[in-house]
Amino acid sequence: MEVELEKRMPAETGMDRRSLPRFLLAIGGLFVLLLIAILIGTAVGAVRVKSGAILSMLFHRHGSQTTAEEAIILQLRLPRVIASALVGAALSVAGVLFQGLFRNPLADPYVIGSQGGAALGAAMAILVLPHFSILGFSATASLAFLGSVVTMLVVYSLARVGGRTPVVTLLLVGFALSTILSYSTTFFVYLNPQSDLANRLLTGWMHGSISSSEWPQIVVATVLIGAGTILALPLARTLNALALGEEYAEQLGVRVETARLGIILVGSLLTAGAVSLGGLIGFVGLIVPHFCRLLQGPDHLRLVPIAALSGAIFLILADTLARTIIAPSELPVGILTAFIGGPSFLYLLRRNKREEYLA
Amino acid sequence: MKALLEFADVTFSYGRTPLFQETSLVVLGGERVALVGANGTGKTTLLKLAAGLLKPAAGRVLLEGRDVRLTPRRDVAREIAYVPQQLIVPFDFTVQEIVEQGRTPYLRMFGSLRSYDRVAVGHAMEVTSITHLRRRIFNQLSGGEQQRVKIAVALAQEPRLLLLDEPTQHLDIGRQAEILELILELNEQGVTIISALHDLSAVRAAFPSIILLYLDRQIVQGATSAILRQETIERAFDIRVQSRFTKIAL
Repeated sequence: MEVELEKRMPAETGMDRRSLPRFLLAIGGLFVLLLIAILIGTAVGAVRVKSGAILSMLFHRHGSQTTAEEAIILQLRLPRVIASALVGAALSVAGVLFQGLFRNPLADPYVIGSQGGAALGAAMAILVLPHFSILGFSATASLAFLGSVVTMLVVYSLARVGGRTPVVTLLLVGFALSTILSYSTTFFVYLNPQSDLANRLLTGWMHGSISSSEWPQIVVATVLIGAGTILALPLARTLNALALGEEYAEQLGVRVETARLGIILVGSLLTAGAVSLGGLIGFVGLIVPHFCRLLQGPDHLRLVPIAALSGAIFLILADTLARTIIAPSELPVGILTAFIGGPSFLYLLRRNKREEYLA
Repeated sequence: MKALLEFADVTFSYGRTPLFQETSLVVLGGERVALVGANGTGKTTLLKLAAGLLKPAAGRVLLEGRDVRLTPRRDVAREIAYVPQQLIVPFDFTVQEIVEQGRTPYLRMFGSLRSYDRVAVGHAMEVTSITHLRRRIFNQLSGGEQQRVKIAVALAQEPRLLLLDEPTQHLDIGRQAEILELILELNEQGVTIISALHDLSAVRAAFPSIILLYLDRQIVQGATSAILRQETIERAFDIRVQSRFTKIAL
């Protein structure tokens, strides 16, 4: 009797964990954690800066700090920390969107090829149109966006079987496309080995690195990622309905075709922003949404802001670790996220198989 | 009584052989109609056509004279609710979170549930006796409980026409009786009901009207007592050999 009672308890309290005060508390808590993460990220490094000094530098500019410290913080650390936050938030929200679209917690933007498409687009832009821009956005961001949209449309049409997306087809299509895209990107580098792209690749862009972030890039990415995150919110209700199946969502009054396109466009906007800053950082869009669902349940209206904050915190900390763990050298942060994310992916895949989600 | 739902010369096929060929049907407001036929005769397809989820190759499906495929989806979803045989939910939504989805056709993009929506959700859960389950995870419920949740979502849509696809499938007889009782109650409150069913005794007991789909694609519609006879059942379900077990069905 007692055993059975215990087994039922978590299910009974499923909703209590999801009350509105809990949600607001979670948001508040994550904000505080984000600030702490930013402080840690700016303080830690080859030159250690006291966090008190950082605060006074940020809030009343001319303190007692030496200009060298100020330069390290404002020109190196802070842009990098902000870039990490942006990339983490973008990949996490993109993960939430694509997982909702494919009704599958394994649909990470890296795994299903969205990031690969964006990377190829970005690479082509860097090589072919280095000085071109559309409405103030560099060709890099624009072509990265286009690359992701095209890839997602292809994945969507190839991976679906009879109105559903079986796990196996989704993963195989994603794998095949990612491989093609990644080698195409490498191919472009071989065409022009002296280019800026080749340099960036050497700094680890293909393995996911935020090391070369500069303020102008960050401004563009902030616009892309900010817009993407805000646009994800009105899609949240639709994503909830889509989670119950496309036909069922249509039954509930959702215009599925429009919704699907909206999700792909917004997800690609976020992916493009992330890739143009940090290259191919894998699995962030898988681990973070999974953790957030455990924390707050699958309601997308809550999942989007929670994932944005958690993703930002996660990647700031991961990148801080990546640049200090083998100091004085630096690891591309993508290596770290793969070490954490790969096993999480396998764990989810195994659970997925056991529960026969949509298989 | 006026015609609520009308199939006007509807033709539909998945492949080459048409499932429906210029089919015409009329369901009046307030009716309780059983949809009966062997596997593969198109019961689910007929329900999806009625809900406007499938597009007829020719002909029209009309809800009070309006073509359901030309009416905005949101408007259709406020009038017609379709309860599928299976609802696969990939994430851990609670019962309440799922029933709240029934309000989708009434909400604006950013709009959260207003007090009236909450009342409708609460009422839908009460009628289907799932209020005590509202905090449970849908995927952890039993078949009978899940079935009631599915019907609750449909009720939260406040439809005039409720389309049920084998609502008693896989349920024990106690739970089957609960669902049939619920169907009767909803119908008494004015909801028109079309339900696919396999259990002929349940059809006889609870549905005054019937649409019978024959294996040769013929369709007959009328009073259950007049249509559901030994010959028609034998023909509809292809019972050629007199087996000791066929008596069970008849």
